[in-house]
Amino acid sequence: MEADQPKSVKRVPSYCYNCVSGPDLMKVKVVDGVATEIEPNFAAADVHPAKGRVCVKAYGLVQKTYNPNRVQTPMKRTNPKKGRNEDPGFVPISWDEALDIVAGKLSAVKAKGLIDDAGLPRVAVSLGHGGTPSNYMGTFPAFLQAWGAVDFSFGSGQGVKCVHSEHLYGEFWHRAFTVAADTPNCRYNIAVGANVDVTGGPCAVIRHADARVRGYKRVQVEPHLTATGACSAEWVPIRPKTDPAFLFALIHVLVKENGLDRLDIPFLRDRTASPYLVAPEGLYLRDVQSGKPLVWDEATACAVAYDMPGAVPAVAGSYRVARALTVDADKERVEHADVEGVTAYEMLARHIEKYSPEWAEGVCDVKAATIRRIANEYLAAASIGETIVIDGKTLPLRPVAVTLGKSVNNGWGAYECCWARTVLAALVGALENPGGLLGTTVRLNKTRDNRHLSVAPGEDGFMVQYFNPTSKEEWQFQPSTRNLHQTLVPIVGHNGAWSQALGPTQLAWMFQDERPDDWSMPMPTLPEVWLVYRSNPSISFWDTRHLAEVAAKFPFMACFAYTVDETNYMADVLLPEATDLESEQMIRMGGTKYMEQFWDHKGVVLRGKAVEPQGEARDFTWITTELAKRTGLLEAYVKAVNKGVAGVAPLKGEGYDFSLSGEPSPEQIWDAVCRAATFSISEGREQHGLAWYREHGFYTVPMSRLEWYLTPTMEQRGLRYELPYQERLLRAGRELGRRLHEKKMNWWDSQLSEYTALPEWHDVPGRWIANLEKAGAKPEDFPFWLLTTKSMQYHAGGNAAIEVMHEVAQNLRGHAGVIMNAKTAAGLNIAEGDRIEVRSHIGATCGKAALVQGVRPDTLVIIGQFDHWATPFAKTMAAPSLNSIAPMSLDLTDATGSGADIVRVAVRKIEEAKAA
Amino acid sequence: MKPFNPRAVELAAPKQQRNWDWRAAANFICGGSGGGLLLYAAFAGFGRGSALAALLAGMTLIATGLTCVWFEIGRPWRALNVYRHIATSWMTREAVVALAVFGCGALAVLTGSVVATLCAGVCGGAFLYSQARILAANKGIPAWRHPASVPLLVATGLAEGAALALAVGALGGAAIGAGLLVAAMILVIVRAWAWQRYRTGLGSTGAPEAALRVLDGFAPRLLWLGTVLPALAVLALLLGMPGQGPVLLLVALLAAGSGAWLKYTLVRRAAYTQGLAIDHIPVRGRGPSGPAAKPGWKMMPDGNRG
Amino acid sequence: MTRYVMTIDLRRCVGCQTCTAACKGANATPPGIQWRRVLDIESGEFPDVRRSFLPVACMHCGDPPCESVCPTRATTRRADGLVAIDYELCIGCANCVMACPYDARSIVHEPRYAYGDSPMASEAKRFDPARIGVSMKCTFCKDRIDYAERTGKVPGVDPEVTPACVNSCISGAMGFGDIEDADSGVSKLLAGTQYFRMHEELGTEPGVYYVWDKS
Repeated sequence: MEADQPKSVKRVPSYCYNCVSGPDLMKVKVVDGVATEIEPNFAAADVHPAKGRVCVKAYGLVQKTYNPNRVQTPMKRTNPKKGRNEDPGFVPISWDEALDIVAGKLSAVKAKGLIDDAGLPRVAVSLGHGGTPSNYMGTFPAFLQAWGAVDFSFGSGQGVKCVHSEHLYGEFWHRAFTVAADTPNCRYNIAVGANVDVTGGPCAVIRHADARVRGYKRVQVEPHLTATGACSAEWVPIRPKTDPAFLFALIHVLVKENGLDRLDIPFLRDRTASPYLVAPEGLYLRDVQSGKPLVWDEATACAVAYDMPGAVPAVAGSYRVARALTVDADKERVEHADVEGVTAYEMLARHIEKYSPEWAEGVCDVKAATIRRIANEYLAAASIGETIVIDGKTLPLRPVAVTLGKSVNNGWGAYECCWARTVLAALVGALENPGGLLGTTVRLNKTRDNRHLSVAPGEDGFMVQYFNPTSKEEWQFQPSTRNLHQTLVPIVGHNGAWSQALGPTQLAWMFQDERPDDWSMPMPTLPEVWLVYRSNPSISFWDTRHLAEVAAKFPFMACFAYTVDETNYMADVLLPEATDLESEQMIRMGGTKYMEQFWDHKGVVLRGKAVEPQGEARDFTWITTELAKRTGLLEAYVKAVNKGVAGVAPLKGEGYDFSLSGEPSPEQIWDAVCRAATFSISEGREQHGLAWYREHGFYTVPMSRLEWYLTPTMEQRGLRYELPYQERLLRAGRELGRRLHEKKMNWWDSQLSEYTALPEWHDVPGRWIANLEKAGAKPEDFPFWLLTTKSMQYHAGGNAAIEVMHEVAQNLRGHAGVIMNAKTAAGLNIAEGDRIEVRSHIGATCGKAALVQGVRPDTLVIIGQFDHWATPFAKTMAAPSLNSIAPMSLDLTDATGSGADIVRVAVRKIEEAKAA
Repeated sequence: MKPFNPRAVELAAPKQQRNWDWRAAANFICGGSGGGLLLYAAFAGFGRGSALAALLAGMTLIATGLTCVWFEIGRPWRALNVYRHIATSWMTREAVVALAVFGCGALAVLTGSVVATLCAGVCGGAFLYSQARILAANKGIPAWRHPASVPLLVATGLAEGAALALAVGALGGAAIGAGLLVAAMILVIVRAWAWQRYRTGLGSTGAPEAALRVLDGFAPRLLWLGTVLPALAVLALLLGMPGQGPVLLLVALLAAGSGAWLKYTLVRRAAYTQGLAIDHIPVRGRGPSGPAAKPGWKMMPDGNRG
Repeated sequence: MTRYVMTIDLRRCVGCQTCTAACKGANATPPGIQWRRVLDIESGEFPDVRRSFLPVACMHCGDPPCESVCPTRATTRRADGLVAIDYELCIGCANCVMACPYDARSIVHEPRYAYGDSPMASEAKRFDPARIGVSMKCTFCKDRIDYAERTGKVPGVDPEVTPACVNSCISGAMGFGDIEDADSGVSKLLAGTQYFRMHEELGTEPGVYYVWDKS
């Protein structure tokens, strides 16, 4: 409805990529030049898995555009002092002045050299929420490429707020940057904290809704009954951070109580390292000549190399091997004679014996009978032996999956969970087979648009891996980034676009302040120039009040700014960029991508410019081109654009050439990208320019569903998944330990304990208790666990300034409050709506009590990331945040460099609820 | 702008209605009393002076109530649209009857006609009844929609009217006979009975717990202040206690005051909405569906929620 | 005869509030006014807890109590089942608000904007003074249904003549169509499922069907 008759109405096709589950497709209704509504794009209903629909977040974009609190002109700081209590004194300046200031700083860096005396990049860039900024920052990636060394160490959430171990181990085991169930075929899903109906975007939501109607069973294992738990057939309220014990017990039931005969023997034998023989000291027994791991050939009753043609490897058992070799860290070779070799599967079986459901019950507060039932239901549902025909190819159908959620798959215990989850899939042949457990895409390997292309033969019959080197010669003692990713985390590698950003980001923040006593590496420096876009670490990290103090020390900070916020409060220059509805950009869509974007098509989509930018906000591509020009990088920048760095395809390829030169306008750039993209996707059949995309929005070609599954590719290449035994990780850890110890550093020793071939249970929750004891606090003073959970209405807090998101979020329990068990609350004389203080050993946060039955009595939950003090509107919410009171600590950092959203707290009432 | 902060937990539960505030309550309080007063006075056989006073008081009360409502509605300048739906709307009927009240009342005041006075009385009664039906027609408010709310509202209007009429009569110098006193006492007792019947009925058909709590909190006040005390006072007069004028004034205060309190309680404090409910918690993939959930309602003895 | 109804498959709904926000956008309702929302209902006690999401709005009743109480005939039930409000007739007496057992109606007496006292461009563009001081509620996106009448398009099938909430629903929980047409999507869904209508015992004959299990 419109009050007055509109003169013109148009609908501009576009996309929403506000969260990691994008892109989803939409149209922007524009009335007389004003964006008024967001609508689904039903033109995409047949190609988009979510039928052309966007989730609730997109419906906030109109308000986002016209929010009067936007920064609408470039600004510069007039108060040289920085800090939370220092008014920045931002004053409007011209674009010329703003760009000259930023370009001046960059040029000065360029003149000195991109790397400083500590070996670290002088320029740092922070981009928010899971890579989503790249879908809004136009050609900025091309500028970064033209620039050269940049430090992405100062994370806003990666490592601490992402599913970090899942990223690292997922890619390692099955090219799975994130992992999902093959929901359309799945019949039984054990979701351990996987909050997919909240975080998975429209594609996940519709897939799971369809699966529910079809009759699949999802068992939700989590301390707090999330929306996903609510929509599951069963809720298992597990004690926080004890998930590895639960998963180990599931393996126990499968392996020890059911046994190999009921598992998928062909899969274990042919697609995993289960038959590899392990020597008593825990390393693979290898062929003396070739160095290849040995298996026991049941046909010839002797040990042969794993790839011996015709061999029938034994999956279980132990065998005497006459002659063999082991290769330890630093390639130390030991020859063995008449040695007992135990198959990797047998090692697993022996290892898992102690982790019975009865044992797990004591750890995770879940009844043994429940664990046993779930394990047996999982095994039965796996329907081993069943097949399915997909696009003419017969594949195993293994419709079971264990999926993990945040704080389960990051931080201590996450390695164990990721391992157990993947092993559970492998045991029944569900790994990367229809119905089972699938990877979505790759970010630590190449190429990001097709994970199958990253499957190449590597060592020992496994896929190639690009670990950061730990050998004496190659180990990076002098870190090249402030998060030390190449130095400390072999598995994060250096091959993928995101390897650097997924290092231990909290170390970058922590080590600015203080370093371990036995630190012997060069002292980390502050970056001379810090560029920030769609990132607010002063809200979204941990110990945020302290982090803001660190950020205030950065000498020069330029922020692409939507509103003033808690991070750009310390900025020297604010650059207002044209936001979601105000500028154009083309990106890829389709194929397979997190969280559950499994398409039958692939192609490209244009972010349409629906309305003119507000105020002086400028197109990001225009800003980027100006920066390139003013820093003398125009040629290199255009070259990078031509290479396809900013767009979706090189502008020059076989049969086409849309290369740019000189100083192209944003329109020229996107027109060339549109043409190159269509040409390459259609294999030369079609070519559409910007004008066509402005009208049609997207272009796709069909894709076989076989691309969803990696196992057929593994089979085709004759490769095995590196499961269940982790010899490579064991060796990498040993080598890393040697390197650190050679440099007299022991501060990473605790993390080194994670490098095990078969993960053991260690008291994961106990680490948080030990941490507060170490800080001088008494555990009994902090009797509750505080966790956090995500909200579909807020993407990592990035739209906390949008009024309508707040309004609709309030319909759901716990938003802007502290969720606690009603009975627990009654015991503390806390009533619904009372203002309560939640205190950890480092600080306190306050919010309204939201009393529910659907949370463990020992657990509190705070949704999302709030506690804003500078962001307009958001700062009036008086919402609590775990981030304000969760410590950053080396003790709470796992070997991948990740932590988890959990902290021990006390709670007390500070004010009675006012009558509603 | 301060963020909108309802409590999600309360959204499904019955909520105290906020659209009809003290102004709407005043219409029921004044209009009901006024209608009752007109009716009782018309048949009380008052002399000219007392009858005139009663007529003026009754009409003033009704007019006051309607004026309050006029200030409450969102579009006061369209108020005449209220006459568009006599077929089913008791609010339209109330407005029509109000015209008749003022027409007959004005005629009675101007001419002193007994017929006009009786007509005004009957219209006053009809006004009272319309108001009772306005509340009862609101299916959204369980405490109103119960059929027993109609006799309750009529009874309280009559009890209030009777007590006010006697006070007006006494102040106007009329001698109040035993018959009128007995009639007033009976009306006060009938009101108590109507209350009990209403409350019992509400208990058996079900109502939001919060509404029942409010009503039960009010009940003793109606019993003692609205029933026992005025009835005893009237009894004392019947037994020959002197000072009829002041005592009847006290009786009017107690009977009308408790009636006002009752209606304020009903219209504002106990006016909890129906709330929202789910008859079957859905099946999520596999397993059984869940039981019904009706937040804010008490479980009924048969295991269903009210 | 045509009767447009809505089906909501509770098995699908995840409580995401996309429909709530889409409705707010499509109907330009002021802050705090939601013609529809999804409730978050919990029942049972830890650890035997069920949590359900229940989208609610005007039920476009077959026997709408709001219509009979309305003194102005601003509220009417149309021949196609939609319960509509004529803002020009409504006096804002709120009787219909009290009559509705679904908390579906509201009255806004002053203009309200998302950020302070001034409207944003998008709010100014769509501000309708006719909606101040009168009763408002979900219209089933009446203009779209009227457009279907003019164009022959089918509500519930063609998105441009289907309510915004139904279009927006990412879980596919919502359907819309003519229940008198045995071939409509809603009729077919209801034929194969178990469903309830809220507060049916009040005799309102609600036009929203909640699906909770297969037949």
